[in-house]
Amino acid sequence: MDSLTFEFWNIQNLYLKEIFFPILIGLLLLLPALIVFFFFSFWKLHVTVWKLGKPQERTAQMGIRFKTLLITTLAHLRFWNEKYPATMHFLIFWGILLIFLGKIVRLFSFLVELTIPPPSLFLYASFISEMGGLWLFTGGVLAVIRRYLLKPKRLETHIDRTLIFVWGFGILISGYLIKGYRIAVAGSPPLPNWFSWAPVSYPLSRLFLIFPNDLLNELFIWHRIFIHALPVLVLFLYLTLSDSPLKHLFLTPLNIIFRPLEPKGALPLIPDFEEAELYGANDLFHFTWKQLLDLEACTNCGRCQDHCPAYLSEKPLSPRKVIQDLHALLQQKRRAWLWNPSSLTKEEVSLIESLSEEVIWACTFCLNCYEQCPVFISAYDKIIEMRRYLVLMESRYPREIREVFRNLERMGNPWGAERHLRADWAAELGVKTLYEDPDVELLYFPGCFKGYDDRSKKVAISMVRILQRAGVKFGILGREEGCCGDPARRIGNEYLYKKIAEKNIEILNQYHVKKILTTCPHCFNTLKTEYPQFGGIFEVIHQTEYLDQLIREKRLSPKRVNPIKVTYHDSCYLSRSHGIYKEPRKILTALPGLKLEEMERARLRSFCCGGGGGRMWMEEHLGKRINEMRVDQALALDPHVIATACPYCLTMLEDGLKAKGKEVSVKVYDIAELLEKALEEDPKNS
Amino acid sequence: MESLTRAMAIGFELTLLMAFLYSFLLGFKLTLFDLGLNPKYKRFVRVSLMIIGGMILSFLIAHLLTFYPRPLLPSPRGG
Repeated sequence: MDSLTFEFWNIQNLYLKEIFFPILIGLLLLLPALIVFFFFSFWKLHVTVWKLGKPQERTAQMGIRFKTLLITTLAHLRFWNEKYPATMHFLIFWGILLIFLGKIVRLFSFLVELTIPPPSLFLYASFISEMGGLWLFTGGVLAVIRRYLLKPKRLETHIDRTLIFVWGFGILISGYLIKGYRIAVAGSPPLPNWFSWAPVSYPLSRLFLIFPNDLLNELFIWHRIFIHALPVLVLFLYLTLSDSPLKHLFLTPLNIIFRPLEPKGALPLIPDFEEAELYGANDLFHFTWKQLLDLEACTNCGRCQDHCPAYLSEKPLSPRKVIQDLHALLQQKRRAWLWNPSSLTKEEVSLIESLSEEVIWACTFCLNCYEQCPVFISAYDKIIEMRRYLVLMESRYPREIREVFRNLERMGNPWGAERHLRADWAAELGVKTLYEDPDVELLYFPGCFKGYDDRSKKVAISMVRILQRAGVKFGILGREEGCCGDPARRIGNEYLYKKIAEKNIEILNQYHVKKILTTCPHCFNTLKTEYPQFGGIFEVIHQTEYLDQLIREKRLSPKRVNPIKVTYHDSCYLSRSHGIYKEPRKILTALPGLKLEEMERARLRSFCCGGGGGRMWMEEHLGKRINEMRVDQALALDPHVIATACPYCLTMLEDGLKAKGKEVSVKVYDIAELLEKALEEDPKNS
Repeated sequence: MESLTRAMAIGFELTLLMAFLYSFLLGFKLTLFDLGLNPKYKRFVRVSLMIIGGMILSFLIAHLLTFYPRPLLPSPRGG
């Protein structure tokens, strides 16, 4: 190393030690003290409060949890469906990470007294920091443009957001300044190609050559301490103590680590149901600790709101607002507790009164809020707890639901139709019940709609004809079949659901059922993901999966159909709950002559029909009708047919078409019906 | 030329210092209320911090005007 380079690396440290040694010692003591204080505050302000929530096991499979954390954060996996904010956050995130990487190299050298570090390592560290700074700056500018100029409706800009921008840009600029000073102190460039390694700081350093060398050193030290290191440390202190959105730096990784690994569509079981004295939640501490963490980890980005059918149809529910309102209540409690520790557990805040019942009943449990959230926060898991409280603790629910509960309890279906009528549709098709012949390949579980709704019966008939054509040996339960319990559970009547589920499981076990085929995604979700909570473990398959398999195995050979344009509507309980997007599309594209076109909101972003979460059985008094909005989205493609694979969606979409006066020109068909027509010999039938 | 350059440099320094002063004081105020200080003190805290901020800013201006180094112009040093 030549003398010039030696001077470059060492002279600042000499200045630092001789002139500002006491300040340096202060900073070196302050940093560890701040870190200890951070962990202490984290425990006192956050963990203490979370521990007041109900227990919930979230430590199993830590390997998978950390793997997801790494993948989702480093690659921003759940961001990219919105390119602008994704690019913005990606640049900010990686910018900060690169700066830290560069800083760590320098810090490490200081600790091990590498006063003359290997230049090549430092050149790379310098370059990485410089690039990190540029990325951070670009991301920051994009964020400022978005927040203050573009102003998307969903963004709420409070003063604490502005504060972060001012503070952050200040630190970033002062970082470049002090590096510029450091380079300028050496006068001539210590390396001939220094510009390539410090493309921002080096040009800046040339401006500082107007100062005498000794003053330059002094300026450098003052700047390093007072306009760079000190603001960083104070920012860290602010982050530690305040409710700043910056908290997401440490709360969202925790939220991703402890996210649910259970199947997405399954609602949680109420543990010890018989002995429990409280059902659901009407106070913050009726939630689990993880649900309280959810409230704090929310960054208020509003993606959930942009995809929520209730919000978009002008209902009072916004998932973002639910989380933020609950968060505000939690903050209120925490603040009171800091001044009066005994206040934390008493003085219950009624969540239901704070949010309003209309909000709680508006949710369709479509899972869009959870699916769109970059950090795995959902509103529906809090809403179901409040519904459970309303139904089980206070017997408060929409008037029209009373009859649904009674019908489910007495007759095993939501309409109150006679049990013996349930399998009437199958009588002429030669379908046997398990009672008549239990030796079958699979049990076909059509569900209540197929049993009692005239339109859906046609789908069941098509499905049976397809199975018979493919030579599948199957049976049904007939009058022994009951509602799977989905409406009761999603409305919040866990007691009724439990009774229904246990009875169904008993019957299924009685016939030693191993494999169940469902045509209804609600039955599919309940049987597959929720019955195991009661010990009912079966192989459950949806018709779309099974039909796709039969086509692939050449057990079904669709023939040419008349050319029609079809758009496919994803059922929430099939797509987001179980990731079944491909199978229905594979079936449709296997039908020669059929042209499939996608709606703007499809697959993961699909829009609910409005019938989930028990909404099928409730009046829709407020805002626009969700099913009509979905029909409008479909009609934008001018299709001949809207295909679906769910009886709820079928009914809702047909109603939507009728409301639009389009029921003649556009038809709604189940995929099974389209396939059955394509299997018929005469193509004119299609 | 020399005094113009110095004035510009001081202006830049002041801008940066004001940004940090604003950040520190606003951060302090937000933290106080986040930690549960009764909102009835909002006005009192705001006025107090404005006075403190004004005093610090006056000091910084005086300090920079007095002690900020005079540039060497023209500066033909290496580069």
